[in-house]
Amino acid sequence: MTELLGVPPALLFGQVLIGLINGLFYAMMSMGVAIIFGMLRIGNFVHGAQYMLGAFGAWFLASLPQLFPGLGLPSLGYWWALILVPPAVAAIGALTERLFIRKVYDLEHAYGLLLTVGLAFVIEGLFNVKFGAAGQQYGVPDALKGGVNLGFMFLPIYRVWVIVAALVVCIATWVVIERTRLGAYLRAATENPDLVRAFGINVPRMLMLTYAFGVGLAGLTGVMAAPIYQVSPQMGQSVIVIIFAIVVIGGMGSIAGAIVSGIGLGIIEGLTKVFWPEASSTVIFICMALVLILRPQGLFGKDTSAHSGADITTARRESILENGRLWIPVLAIVGIVLPYLVYPVFAMKILCFALFACAYNLVFGYLGLLAFGHAAFFGAAAYGAAHIAAVWGWSPELAILGGTALATAIGALFGWLAIRRQGLYFAMITLALAQIVSFYAVQAEWTHGEDGIQSVPRGKLFGLIDLNDTMTMYFFVLTVFLLCFAFIYRLLRSPFGQVLRAIRDNNQRTVSLGYSADRFKLVAFTISAMLAGVAGGMKAIVFQIASLTDVHFMTSADALLMTLIGGVGTILGPVVGAAIVVTLQREFAEFGAWVIVVQGAAFVLCVLFLRQGVVGTAESWLGRRAERRREAELGAPAAEPKEEAAQ
Amino acid sequence: MTQDAIIETRGLVRRFGGFAAVDGVDLTVARNSVHALIGPNGAGKTTVFNLVSKFLDPSEGQIFYNGRDITNTKPADVARQGMVRSFQISAIFGRMTVAENVRIALQRPTGLSFSFWRADSVLDNLADRVDELLDSVGLLDWRDRPAAGLSYGRKRALEFATTMALDPELMLLDEPMAGLGQQDVVRISELIAEQAKNRTILMVEHNLSVVAELADRITVLARGKILAEGDYKSIAADPAVIEAYIGDDID
Ligand SMILES: Nc1ncnc2c1ncn2[C@@H]1O[C@H](COP(=O)(O)OP(=O)(O)OP(=O)(O)O)[C@@H](O)[C@H]1O
Ligand SMILES: [Mg+2]
Repeated sequence: MTELLGVPPALLFGQVLIGLINGLFYAMMSMGVAIIFGMLRIGNFVHGAQYMLGAFGAWFLASLPQLFPGLGLPSLGYWWALILVPPAVAAIGALTERLFIRKVYDLEHAYGLLLTVGLAFVIEGLFNVKFGAAGQQYGVPDALKGGVNLGFMFLPIYRVWVIVAALVVCIATWVVIERTRLGAYLRAATENPDLVRAFGINVPRMLMLTYAFGVGLAGLTGVMAAPIYQVSPQMGQSVIVIIFAIVVIGGMGSIAGAIVSGIGLGIIEGLTKVFWPEASSTVIFICMALVLILRPQGLFGKDTSAHSGADITTARRESILENGRLWIPVLAIVGIVLPYLVYPVFAMKILCFALFACAYNLVFGYLGLLAFGHAAFFGAAAYGAAHIAAVWGWSPELAILGGTALATAIGALFGWLAIRRQGLYFAMITLALAQIVSFYAVQAEWTHGEDGIQSVPRGKLFGLIDLNDTMTMYFFVLTVFLLCFAFIYRLLRSPFGQVLRAIRDNNQRTVSLGYSADRFKLVAFTISAMLAGVAGGMKAIVFQIASLTDVHFMTSADALLMTLIGGVGTILGPVVGAAIVVTLQREFAEFGAWVIVVQGAAFVLCVLFLRQGVVGTAESWLGRRAERRREAELGAPAAEPKEEAAQ
Repeated sequence: MTQDAIIETRGLVRRFGGFAAVDGVDLTVARNSVHALIGPNGAGKTTVFNLVSKFLDPSEGQIFYNGRDITNTKPADVARQGMVRSFQISAIFGRMTVAENVRIALQRPTGLSFSFWRADSVLDNLADRVDELLDSVGLLDWRDRPAAGLSYGRKRALEFATTMALDPELMLLDEPMAGLGQQDVVRISELIAEQAKNRTILMVEHNLSVVAELADRITVLARGKILAEGDYKSIAADPAVIEAYIGDDID
């Protein structure tokens, strides 16, 4: 037996083994995410960073003598790490819960995700600053060195140990959750938190311990993974997206679902590496898409009833800040003056990202859908436009249109898939789908990997107007921005926009009136993708490059941050937010790795202290003032009629 | 199939986990009648509503609407075919004004709802009908207020006006009187009686005097099963019904 299914058995079994190990790691982490999600309704994006903390903890203990020379500290090995690190990471988790997570339980789910995204950026960013992107080696413990030769393959003992230990952890967790009284409380709390409160259980402590437990699992996974993978600040970043996909596949609130899908997908991933290596990084996300088509509630999930989207805007429609007839001319004037005040290229960057954020705000702010993968549309359009302009040599407006068409098509497809699930799931799904585009851009030939598509010609607009002149380019960008802004404004105040408002207010009621809410959401989502595409295509022409940054998850996070800082669900918020974030990015650019820490901190601070954003805060102030004035006019609380006052 | 049945369910079952909230219900609602569904708390009345209006899928059984099998139809499609429901907890659009709440219902049959490129002033011609509907429920003076600020009774009235706006063939009302003061109960009762003249109404209601006054036929549900069916007199005299209600009180 030299070949099996056309591949050498050593390769096949080797990959299955790696797949199994990865799968067990996925399972352990998905359990943590599923438990935290089930109990706390927090999409724990920081889970990847907590896993990284576990791995670094192990490395840290082993490197004590080198890190603190002169203190005479011993190097604590793997077994010490296994005992000390998971509780330490869990303790950090408990502290995180106490300081941050607790503050957002009563808020819209979106904030929990944003907060944990921010925390992940801060933690990973700080480690990046301290240790750099390069990985650290962590040795296999002596007792587990070596391996056995099975004839058809070499089986390292450490991996056997990992498989056994991880299986024990998975089964033990399953038993605790599904078969003990504590687990019964936890499950009851997942389904009905008020009930558990009524039992007289100390709910805050229970939530903190639950969070700590989930985080501890991540820490333990990190320790176990340290001898297998490089210990690096980014090691959790790609894992977290996979974990989210697995939670979507497994189904809500199902520990068994997390375990089975984790292991299964790990093995599928391993097999894909053997038979179709190019697809191995995306196969899990493709599986997720298939599950969404065939069984939207997840393999082990019960069906979830629809609920309304996140409602986190306070903008009053009649407010002066929402009046497009006033603000479109104002923006036009500011836009005309701007290139004489700041560098035109910088101003163009603000405009491109302002449009991107406005597009994003359409779904997040006005529809309450927490989309988390708009980089896919922005980036796809950037690559599309760059390719059309650079390779096909078409004129810039056609390049942008082509890129936009590509983004629109991807948006329609992703929207069609993602709209089957609500709330946090929607975020996880869009995030995972966007990852497919990102990995594709890394691998495909025409996108040129790390280099991207460079030296994109700006060309002549309509074959006539030369865009190589910076000011000409600028006014083209400004015109497109204003047109798109006006288009969004019109859409929001159209009959279609009325239905979107109704859907956000009360999805079920809208359906009961005969509106197929999902179809409206899909159209809105696709339009949002299209506008993000316009922004991305234009960016590629302006900066003459399309690169991996454009499709990267960070770009999705940028859109979200801009919208949040500016004011979710306000027409001006994304514009103001884009100006702030782009300026911040420029100011901190010289600090290199610190940018991401600053951005993460901005997320955290916004969620904790500036939830309404700049424009939103101004709007609430105006709203309160209007309210007071109305009360003064009508005579205090005169909202109710006399007949009832008499009752 | 019965000749003039607007709704007919056959062996309807809905389980949550292992528990059957609705357990083999054969319900027939006659066209142009007011049919009341009553029963103790947790009997499965709302679940039957959710099943009939397609907001939940049945675990077993079939549902026919006007003789068509709608077991696999989407809720919005059922609504477009003329079956419009209200919710046990008043369902309004809190951020929209009172007038906009009603207008969103009137807008649906206009076919304009996907026009994202038109200004919403194209909907202005609906304003007269909006005012008429608001007037009929006594909300005209509130037309430009945000709906969220209304009193509970007015919210229910608004929900009712929104449902009326669609001129449905079949109205499903889940506890329209719940939480209302006596004055509002009288007003809504009158509205329901008025509406019943040219359509079918299926309602869940705990207020038995309202049921006695409005309903042509009553189905009593207990523990997911039909316990009794008939007019008010026969139901009120049925010992099994009395026991189900009293038994519930003792719990
Ligand atoms: N989504 C759900 N998941 C689990 N159980 C449910 C669900 N919906 C209803 N139930 C259960 O089904 C049973 C019937 O509920 P339903 O709401 O239909 O009762 P009801 O007759 O409308 O009661 P009420 O008079 O209190 O409104 C109850 O025991 C309820 O707990
Ligand atoms: Mg009910």
